[in-house]
Amino acid sequence: MFITILSCEVHIPITKRIVEAFVGEYASGKSEVAVNRALELSRSKRPVTLVDLDLVEPCYTLRPIKNELIASGIDVLAWETRETLGLGEAGNIIKADSRWALRRSGDIILDVGYGVDGSRTLNLLEGSADDKDLKIVAVINASRPMTGSLEQIVEYVGQLGRVDMLINNTHLGDETVAEIVQEGAILVTEAARILGIPVLATAATTEIAATIGSEDVKGNRVWPLERYMPRTLW
Amino acid sequence: MPEKPIKGEKRYFMTGNEVVAYAAMAAGADIMYGYPITPQNEIMHYWTRMAPKYQREFLQTEDELSAGFTTIGGVLAGRRAFTATAGPGNTLMQEPISMAEAMRLPMVVIVQQRGGPSTATVIYSQQEVTMTTFGGNGEGYRIVYSTATHQELYDYTIKAFNTAWKYRLPTFVLGDGYQAKMRESLTMYDPEVRGVTMEPTEPYVGKAGTPGVDREPAQYRNTYNVEEELYEVLQEMEKDFVALSPVVAEYESLAAEESDLVVISHGVVSRAVKEAVEELRGQGLSVGYFRPITLRPLAEKELRAAANKAKKLLMVESAYGQMARLIKDEIYGCSAEIDTLYKPGVGITAEEVANKIKTLIK
Repeated sequence: MFITILSCEVHIPITKRIVEAFVGEYASGKSEVAVNRALELSRSKRPVTLVDLDLVEPCYTLRPIKNELIASGIDVLAWETRETLGLGEAGNIIKADSRWALRRSGDIILDVGYGVDGSRTLNLLEGSADDKDLKIVAVINASRPMTGSLEQIVEYVGQLGRVDMLINNTHLGDETVAEIVQEGAILVTEAARILGIPVLATAATTEIAATIGSEDVKGNRVWPLERYMPRTLW
Repeated sequence: MPEKPIKGEKRYFMTGNEVVAYAAMAAGADIMYGYPITPQNEIMHYWTRMAPKYQREFLQTEDELSAGFTTIGGVLAGRRAFTATAGPGNTLMQEPISMAEAMRLPMVVIVQQRGGPSTATVIYSQQEVTMTTFGGNGEGYRIVYSTATHQELYDYTIKAFNTAWKYRLPTFVLGDGYQAKMRESLTMYDPEVRGVTMEPTEPYVGKAGTPGVDREPAQYRNTYNVEEELYEVLQEMEKDFVALSPVVAEYESLAAEESDLVVISHGVVSRAVKEAVEELRGQGLSVGYFRPITLRPLAEKELRAAANKAKKLLMVESAYGQMARLIKDEIYGCSAEIDTLYKPGVGITAEEVANKIKTLIK
């Protein structure tokens, strides 16, 4: 008897270290994409460190799911309120582990929270300027008002500092349908062409991704997303 | 003439604070005055990001007392001005708001409730109801809209500017930290496209001409020499407020006049209540809900009708009875028994509401 294992995993040379920093507009889906990416890498038995680099509200984003992620085998670097001084809503000290995160072995996924300083936040990390594996990925939801048109996306990404790739994460929450994602794919792909950078993928919830297939209308790879963030604080 | 921030209408995925900033832009607000406090900060962030492009202004003051008084200054100068705050900031703002009440000046204040007393939590509560509805000294008059969805945050922020300027009363949009930070879809629109005309603003002071000769004198008082003088002014204000109350009051209800049990809640909690009530009605239970949208003034007639028809009322809120006190005062003498589900400072799920309802009706 033959057993067929269906697999849609991404094939990555095992020797290459993956270092991705997700940046972008507030509430563009950076954390959701980062968590899913870390879990995807972890499932393929790669050692993964997930770093919460939200400098504005550092004790909130991943806290409710931190232990679950650790239990899945991911190293999670994120403040907990009891470890910090002050109110927790306005942290002022970068976690030492996070500062040195790029010196770790294995894959490193950086969730650059809140979006205000874009990729400039990465200046706080030792080795970020000359890490050859580091890819800075701007997460774009074309249903967000600040990135709702081609002109806005190009202008916005231009303000983020260095960006190496875009990811289309266009959605309308529970109202998302495949057309919304595809319209986003067209805008984001065109913006990437103007900016002279590639599109890493189109991200969509597992259900929507299944209706789109493995590639979106512009030929970008489709990443299925499990929804973790509804269980987090914000 | 700068371009309009919102043209036509389109569906967007947003956080509540952003929605407020865009709504104020769409309503043609000229200036925001404010002092940072979580969970309302992104209202200021987004307002200041957009302000230069759409030729609007922003002033960060040294505290909420100043933010309130400068908002009044902007209003007196004829600007469509607003501010936003939360928690202890709301406490400080009550003094300027009282002055606006005394002078019968419009003012729009967005409140994103957080836990209290004092600094407490930055996250969520419905514990600013008492202060937002009756927080001033004396007995001033104000209007308070309590929203439950991002669509309502957008609609009522625009509406608040019109209500405030139409009746010349401080007008509040009462949200909370969950609504502030939560993400959901809504339709943003140019009010004009929906046939909404913004009430015009005008300078209340510094007008051209000689007062008493070319125009009425502009006299806005918050100080009186004798009791009788104040008494006379307050009677006029009371008369005005009683007259406008039935026009301004808004509510949403389901089977509130034909159910054994009616659940009363406001704001984000009413989403859980709605879900619970709809599910239990599907199972054949005689249950309805009543949700005041204006917490001040309340929809008195409809509330009393529900409280006389129902056998029981269940008051549900993320506070220890702040909404319930307002309701009880309004339905004094009605026949329904009152039960409560209070969870001060924490969220309430549909399941918790359903479980409570099931203990009250079989």
